[in-house]
Amino acid sequence: MEREAFLARLAGARPGPDLPSLDDLPQAPTELRPGEDRYERFRHEVEAASGACERVSAGHEGLAVAAFLAGAGATRVALASDLGVHREPVHAALVALGITPVSYDDLVAERAELGALHATVTGASVLVAATGSLVTSALAGRAAALIAPIHVCVASEDRLASGLAEALHALPDASLVAFQSGPSRTADIEKKLILGMHGPGSTLVVVVRSLASDAPTPA
Amino acid sequence: MSDHLTGTTFQTRSVEQLAKPFQRQAIPNAVDPTVAGLHRLFAGSDRDRLRDLGRDIRGHAVANLPKLVAQLVDQLETNGVTVHFAGDAAEARAIVVSICSRAGARRVVKAKSMLTEEIELNPALEAAGLEVVETDLGEYVVQLDGDRPSHIIGPIIHRTAAEVRELFSRVAGTELAEDAGELARFARGQLRAAFLAADVGISGANFAVAETGSIALVTNEGNGRLTTALPRVHIAMVGVERVVPRLDDLAVLVPLLTGSGTAQRITTYLTLASGPRREGEVDGPEEMHVVLVDGGRSAIVGSDYQEVLSCIRCGACQNICPVYRQVGGHAYGWVYGGPIGAVLTPLFRPEAEAQELGQASSLCGACDDICPVRIPLHDLLRTLRRDRSAGATVSRGERLAFRIWSYAWASPTVFRLSALLAPLAARVPIGPARRFTALRDVVFSRGRR
Repeated sequence: MEREAFLARLAGARPGPDLPSLDDLPQAPTELRPGEDRYERFRHEVEAASGACERVSAGHEGLAVAAFLAGAGATRVALASDLGVHREPVHAALVALGITPVSYDDLVAERAELGALHATVTGASVLVAATGSLVTSALAGRAAALIAPIHVCVASEDRLASGLAEALHALPDASLVAFQSGPSRTADIEKKLILGMHGPGSTLVVVVRSLASDAPTPA
Repeated sequence: MSDHLTGTTFQTRSVEQLAKPFQRQAIPNAVDPTVAGLHRLFAGSDRDRLRDLGRDIRGHAVANLPKLVAQLVDQLETNGVTVHFAGDAAEARAIVVSICSRAGARRVVKAKSMLTEEIELNPALEAAGLEVVETDLGEYVVQLDGDRPSHIIGPIIHRTAAEVRELFSRVAGTELAEDAGELARFARGQLRAAFLAADVGISGANFAVAETGSIALVTNEGNGRLTTALPRVHIAMVGVERVVPRLDDLAVLVPLLTGSGTAQRITTYLTLASGPRREGEVDGPEEMHVVLVDGGRSAIVGSDYQEVLSCIRCGACQNICPVYRQVGGHAYGWVYGGPIGAVLTPLFRPEAEAQELGQASSLCGACDDICPVRIPLHDLLRTLRRDRSAGATVSRGERLAFRIWSYAWASPTVFRLSALLAPLAARVPIGPARRFTALRDVVFSRGRR
């Protein structure tokens, strides 16, 4: 059909309500409650979704990522280009543990190698405290965060948005933006929860303390 | 395949479904935790006000479709998306086939989409020589077995793990264990190969954001996102009423959808696809197409049933419906079951057999109470009964019976007497009571409240 004819058929609606203002959003499961700590809620939600979460001081993110991946026996690891300042420490720590990571960008055209990856490491544009979500985008590669059985995300604590409403205002400008919350899952067979259906079955978020909140870590 | 309406009635289909003991247990086992989880999830929240906002956003969108759809189309085109307009199912199928053939495609992967069930897309693609693979685990089972989904959210709610094991073992050529984890891993392997080889990925749309030209996909498995990531062409099939005005509206509609559908704050994957791969991005499709489908929707705009277009396909009204819970989705004869199916099917399908579905309800109103966007399903079902019985003839006996009933229940003494006699009548069913009790247990409460 032509556009105009198609739109014309939709005319003649009964009047509907005005578009409500969302300035004063009611309390929702996707928003923080007053007084809640962003990181603590984030960690709680990630763990509730069967993911892992860890907070480290700046400079220690490489070790956290490398220890997790080495512990999982991952050897084929790809780093996405959106890691930013975290890329160098992550790369160095992996090499120190005998894992030589490749660049996701270099790999992406090779379908067979993409399918053989053990783990990918990406950044995140936004973390969402109330839902335990991280936001990746086509800037890292559309498939980067879910092509391998393990996904690790490294992001600074100042990327933490309180809830979904705030996060929607902080999205990156990319052709695809995606929220993800814990491992891929399905319950289609007799309602039994299975992790890792299409995307990763194991996920870790490493939250790097921002300088302002970089209090000494207890030993 | 998806059509069991012709030559059957809701009653004959129900009798067939009631004979499946697994389904009658499986439905409450699957949906009761979702309903309980919904109430737990919203315990600290203002669910009523969120539902008001959801109703107003969706109601506003449906009442302003020409303006919002025009905005959506403009924005999509600005983003580099090719937009197509399909008046009906046949046109929608032809458009998709032609996109695939122009792209020289041979293999197609699909994410879950109720709209593609409506328009029976898969047979058309297969007839055009394309290899189609459904990638949602439940839909994959449905496709392998030539079955139909029986629930909007859980397509194989009616199937046992043993049946899935048998099916997958046949595909594998070896005996798989009856373990949901192993069965899912087998499917992952098959489907991952399909993803990596696919030329075209076809998705639906949970929401289409007019302001930004974004297609929002909600999945837990991640197949929606892989569908938009790996193949070189992405086609999003969008029912024209899926439009929402603003990106911010998702802060209301997503928790309402995922809370009602799966008792989750948010699903594992919420994907916003706003165009093909851009300069400087490392992967993603070279082409993105949006097929806007009318398919009977414009006829509902402006009618007494306009509010049904606000539906966000969460499945909550099915979960709570005493009729659906007994007979399951297939008894409704078409794509949608439960109260939403009882309203949509007669509106979308012209067949005489579809028109009785307003009767597939006890009018208890539980669907109104749970609907996240407050669609008055109970009123719509009554309106449907009124409309579809217009011009029907009433026998003299029936008219007399109702006159006696009206007289009896207007008089306290006769009413009390009738209440005393009713259990007796149920025990010795004659006439219409015999037909009524043939498929129902009649239980009278004792004592006063």
